[in-house]
Amino acid sequence: MTGKKLVLAAIALALVQIGFLSWIVAGRAAVLRDGREVLLKVEPVDPRDLLRGDYVVLNYEISAVPVSIVSNAPVGEFTSQDGPIFVRLGKDEDGYWRARSATLGAPAGIPAEGEVDIRGEVRPGWSSGPDGTYNVSYGINRYYVPEGEGSEIETNMRDRPFSILAAVGPDGQAQIKALMDGETRLYAEPLY
Amino acid sequence: MASYSSRVRGDAARWVERGFIDQKAAQAIVADAEAHDRRSLSFGSILAIMAALLFGAAILIFVAANWEAFPRLGRVGMLFAIIFGGYVGGAGLKLADHAAIGEALWLIAAAAFGGSIALISQMYHLSGDEAQAILIWCAGTTLAAAALRSGPLTMAAVALSAAWLFLVGVSFWRNEDFPHLFMVLAFVVWLLSYWTRSAGARHLLLLSLVLYAALLAAETEVMHVAPVLAAVSAILFGLAVFLPEDTERIARIDGLLPVHGLIGFLTGMVMLQIDIGDDFAAGFAIAAAITLAGIVAAVVFGGRDSRGLRWIAYTGFAFELCLIYAVMIQGMLGTAGFFLAAGTILGVLAIAIIRIEKRMAAPASASGVVS
Repeated sequence: MTGKKLVLAAIALALVQIGFLSWIVAGRAAVLRDGREVLLKVEPVDPRDLLRGDYVVLNYEISAVPVSIVSNAPVGEFTSQDGPIFVRLGKDEDGYWRARSATLGAPAGIPAEGEVDIRGEVRPGWSSGPDGTYNVSYGINRYYVPEGEGSEIETNMRDRPFSILAAVGPDGQAQIKALMDGETRLYAEPLY
Repeated sequence: MASYSSRVRGDAARWVERGFIDQKAAQAIVADAEAHDRRSLSFGSILAIMAALLFGAAILIFVAANWEAFPRLGRVGMLFAIIFGGYVGGAGLKLADHAAIGEALWLIAAAAFGGSIALISQMYHLSGDEAQAILIWCAGTTLAAAALRSGPLTMAAVALSAAWLFLVGVSFWRNEDFPHLFMVLAFVVWLLSYWTRSAGARHLLLLSLVLYAALLAAETEVMHVAPVLAAVSAILFGLAVFLPEDTERIARIDGLLPVHGLIGFLTGMVMLQIDIGDDFAAGFAIAAAITLAGIVAAVVFGGRDSRGLRWIAYTGFAFELCLIYAVMIQGMLGTAGFFLAAGTILGVLAIAIIRIEKRMAAPASASGVVS
């Protein structure tokens, strides 16, 4: 490879990699900026599993979706299959958003005023009989905290209600906006 | 280990001393050896690569610390600057005849790309799995290796693909299918390694392919996968030993294809025997006999030219004996009988091999020996 070509290749490579990373950042920032805000109740998980390294593991009230509200749940299957699910959320009196209905695969029409569709992945292998619940992951199960601050949150989370303020993009992708300790914002996420 | 040219220098000095060759011929031989010595990694370039790996680890841990005193945008900007500066600065150094430091800078830039992925996941609290992040990192590193025609980056790409394979292949709570994509990755990087002239990457790839087969066997059915691994490896070994020029022209792997063939064969046969265990004694005995025969055949056909192959054969042989003992421990007498028979056969073979090797060596040493 001649000298000029190698330098040009290096510049092009650096720009492609930086461009790719910036594209991810831009996409995530767009969800934070423009997405619909929903307040989700966080449920304490088994404290031994709560903190791994420097992030807090979050489990949501809406992580458990009853099979009975899933309109197109397959009949006669005993375990859940891996795949996308769209859960329609509505705001309750107490300010938290909860699952109203859900569909597997694709969202069912346009959500009504005051409702929003959030996209998740059904975890496979869970009981999915008529009384069962789907375990759904929304890709927002971790909250990264500065080194050493996780255990305090972990302790407090067992004492009083915590919640996550999330932004939901037009395609249903959720993004964490802030971790709330009751009414106070513990950490608010800047766009960048 | 002394390099080839320095060993030749020592040999030539001794030959001059003994009067085989004159001073002029010795100088010509040493000069030729130095000119054609494969440009192996010098001490300095190894240190440069090690320094690059340390810098890379520092970047990744710096990201993991989630240090708040430094604003996020600053951290992202710093990593982007390292990516740009590493690739472009490395290219500049490479052109200024500092190839090793240039390659080291490229490795740092590739590490910064991986660090950026981790940082972005952290910034936006993405709980996507680590395996996917490593796959993207691997793709970026492969692209970098291709664009810069870099051997070390090719090896880094192989290492990342193997790390991805391992992470996905051994996850207990598997949500995803077996990582068959690895075969595609391996094929692409193998082709790339010709362009980047990286025999090291091909060595790592062959080892990773054995890992792939082993994970696949553990995941699906050992009885289906392990014999195929052993058979394919044995065929590769045979091709490499009986058609050395042709296989080397295709694989270009420093003539070490037989060693990889033996490693694959032993891995497959050991998995097969562990799977059979003592449920089916006759089957186990047949598999053990095939393994021992394979090891002996490997030494007979490929062992003379390759010390590495002999050592792997001896290690495999010792392991095989332990395995037989562990599986057949219930019947000591049976084990003893098997060892007795195997020992007799090997003893006879050893006598035969020693005689053959002596006879083969005899004509060569008969001519021109002055001692």
